[in-house]
Formats: sequence, structure tokens, C-alpha cells
Amino acid sequence: MNHNQQATGSRHDDDAALSEFLASLMEYTPTIPDELVEHYLGKSGFQCPDVRLIRLVAVATQKFVADVASDALQHCKARQAAVVKDKRDKQQKDKRLILTMDDLSKALREYGVNVKHQEYFADSPSTGVDSTSREE
Amino acid sequence: MSDGGGESGKVHERPKTRKNLGSEDFPRALAKIAVAQICESEGFQIFQQSALETLADVAVRYVQNMGSTANFCANFAGRTECNLFDIIQALEDLGSVQGFAGASDIEHCLASSSTVKEFARYVAQAEEVPFAYSVPKFPVVKERKLRPSFLQIGEEPPGEHIPSWLPALPDPETYIESPIVKEEVVEPQTIKTEPEKQCRTEKSFWNLQQWLFCNGLEGSQREDPRNAAMTKQIQESNPFLAPPLQFGEKEVSSIVLPDKVLNNSSTEYHVPVMENCQVDTHVSVLETFAPAIESIKNNFHMSEEKYSLNRKSTVQFKIGTGKKAAGNMIELRALNNGVKKSSSWFVGEDEKDDKKRKAEKILKDSMENSNELSHL
Repeated sequence: MNHNQQATGSRHDDDAALSEFLASLMEYTPTIPDELVEHYLGKSGFQCPDVRLIRLVAVATQKFVADVASDALQHCKARQAAVVKDKRDKQQKDKRLILTMDDLSKALREYGVNVKHQEYFADSPSTGVDSTSREE
Repeated sequence: MSDGGGESGKVHERPKTRKNLGSEDFPRALAKIAVAQICESEGFQIFQQSALETLADVAVRYVQNMGSTANFCANFAGRTECNLFDIIQALEDLGSVQGFAGASDIEHCLASSSTVKEFARYVAQAEEVPFAYSVPKFPVVKERKLRPSFLQIGEEPPGEHIPSWLPALPDPETYIESPIVKEEVVEPQTIKTEPEKQCRTEKSFWNLQQWLFCNGLEGSQREDPRNAAMTKQIQESNPFLAPPLQFGEKEVSSIVLPDKVLNNSSTEYHVPVMENCQVDTHVSVLETFAPAIESIKNNFHMSEEKYSLNRKSTVQFKIGTGKKAAGNMIELRALNNGVKKSSSWFVGEDEKDDKKRKAEKILKDSMENSNELSHL
């Protein structure tokens, strides 16, 4: 009996927290615009007039992308540290943080996304540098 | 004809690119910008184009996957509209690869889901980076201007079976059958009245086309040049709407109508003799018949006797039928009386066989005349 009451009490708390969170979403503007999320949700068959739910999806997506990006950033930093250890003179060039396909595919693999996309050789300033450093 | 084909090729190509541009490129570009902004806030400074595209693609798939999962949950519960719990369920499904607190408990309450708590934490701590641009509502649906109904115009529908709330019919000139050129001799009065009517028809056609253009109906919009060509063709097939010729002399105008007859005959059947004379442009036809025109002009200066003799010989030689002979007699008279009258005769002669024979005869006559001229 007592346990049951506790459960209902916590449930009320959860409900309150959930509705509070949803209400807070009205003030929070995610980086991903609502229109974009709405468009793609609509394409997948999702139907809901509630803006808060669309915001929730936007926040979820933003968090997902941010998580992937921070993982990729860690990969990037780790690689740069290794490169810098090998070659001091390239330090100037590699100082900036670049989102590369390598790091991204490593980060995405942890999230269950298998990226086997060949990077475009022309679009990366560091592609040539990487290959030479790998050769050595 | 050949440029018409080129036009149609262009027509086929344009909608394709437009469709691609409208449906997918814009949201993709938006997703790329948003993803780039998120990565920038995480600390990245430079992006590989391919990496950015991949990440944007993954993000879009994430949204779509979540949408379809939530929709599935709603449908599974017998609803069409999704609610919060469908989305939480979808979030948990998508987050199950990563794992979350309480995932092992199958029967946990969705309201106390740890994924939502994580999002709440994220929202509380993450800095708010609004999207760089203000995004308009898309896809843009162009508003169509409907044709006013009979009721709005205040017009009575033409039949009792047509309710008044239906859109009004276009101008009757656009859909009624236009009269074919009469086979009898056309009186000068009718010639006068005809162009006005034709002008009105064209005007209403033009109005209709403009309306279609305003509503952005595909096809009619692009076929503008072709429509123009069609109206031109109509004009050309109608002798009354033919543009004035640029020949200086008055006599030449009488020759214009045979040209018309020739044109008509050549479009309707194959006249082997005429085949090489059939040219699209007006000017070249005239050029083809320039010697004939010249010879006829010269004939006027010749004595009447000689002329009639020549004529008679051609009649006996070339055409055996009495009808043809009669036609020739008329022509002769017309030529003798003056050029203006002959024009009305040519219009009247609209029978197909006669046209064909007429065409051949005119050509042969002109050839013979020119031969004689050289003999003289």
C-alpha cells in the first residue's frame, strides 16, 4: 500500500516535470528550425498540430547531432595531438579544428550509422597532408 | 516544324529541374546550415563539405525515422494523430542503440523516461543558438485564382442543366466551331465583316491564354511560342487575316490568293508537282512564283487577242473537263476586267480537286507564258 502510494506520488512528480519540460520548450528555440523538422516529419507520415512535440523532436535531433559532433571533435583532437607529436613544423597548419569524414565516420559508428562514403579529394585542405603523414 | 521539335524538347526538360529544386534542395540546404551551426557551437572551425553533407543527411534521417516510428506507435494504438508518448517511445527506440537508464525495465512508465530527462538536462545547459536565417513556410503553395462562377458574374448559364455555382464558360468564340470559308463566291461585304469577327475570336483566345498563364498552368504557359505559331497558322490559313504583302505593285495582290490556294492544297494532299514548291515561309512562296507574277504582269501589256489565244490553247491542251474550261473562262474574264475581281473568284474556288488542278495549271501557265516571253 505504502509502496503503491509512493509510486503514484513519483508518477505525479514525473508528470509535472514532463509538462514543465514541454512548457519550457516553448521558450527554447532549437537550432534546427521548426519548419524543417515539420517538413520531414510530415514526409514520414507524422501528424500532429502541437508545436511543442515538433520542438521536442528538434531538440532530440539537435542533441543527437551535437553528441556526434562532440565525439568527432574528440577524435579530431586526439589525431591532431598524435600528428603534432610526430611533426612539430606542421603544428601551425593543423591547429584549426576541421570536421573531416574520417572523424565523422568513426563517431557515427558508435551511434549505429555505418558511413562508407568516400571523401571528395578536392574539398579538403588537409587531405593531401593526411596522406603524406600516413605514408611516413 | 524543326524549331517546334526543339521547343518541345526544352519543355520536357524544364519541369524536371524545377521539381528537384523545389522539393528537396531547399530543406537539404537548411539542414546543412543547421548542422553546421550545431557543430560550430561544439567547437569545430572548418568543415569538409562531404562530412557536412553526411551529417546533415544523418540528421534528416533521424528526424524521418523518429516520425515514422511515432506514427507507427500511434497507428498501433488505433490513432491517427501522434501524441507525446508516441514520440517518447520513438525516442527510446532510437536511443536504444546507445542505451539509456532504465532501458532494461520493459514496463517502465513513459512519463518517467530517462531519455526525456536527458533532453531536459541538455536544454537547460546547452546554449541557445537560433537558426541563422528566418525560414519561410515551405513548400510554397501558389494560390490559384479560380474562374468566377455564373453566379458571381451574374450571367445565366447557357443550359438549364448547368447549376449557377459552376465556373462560367469562357467566351463562346474559344470553343464554338468557327465557320469554314464558304464555297461560293465571297461577296465584298462579307470580306469586310469577317476580320472583325476573327479579331474578336483572337481576343477571347488571348484572354483565355492570359488567364491560364496567371494561374500557372503548366503546358499552356510554356507553349506560348507554339500558340503564337498556331495563331499565325490560323491567320495564314485564313485568307482574310493574311498579313499584307510587301510588294509595291497593286497587281501582285491578285497573285496572293492563288498562293493561298496552293498552300491549302499542299497541306491537304500530296501534289507531286507542287511538292518542291511548298515552303514554310511566305516570302519564299512568293519568290517561287515571282516569274509567274512577272509574266502575268507582262501579259497585261500585251494585246488582248494574243492573250486570249494563249489562254485558249492551254485550256484545250491541259484540262479536258468542262468545269475546268469554265473556270478558265472566268479567269480570263476576270483578268480582262481587272485584277481586283479575280481575287474574289479565287476565294470562291475552294473545292479540293479544283484547288489541286488550279495550282498545277497556274504553274504551267506561268511556265508557258515565260517561255513565250522569251520567244518574243
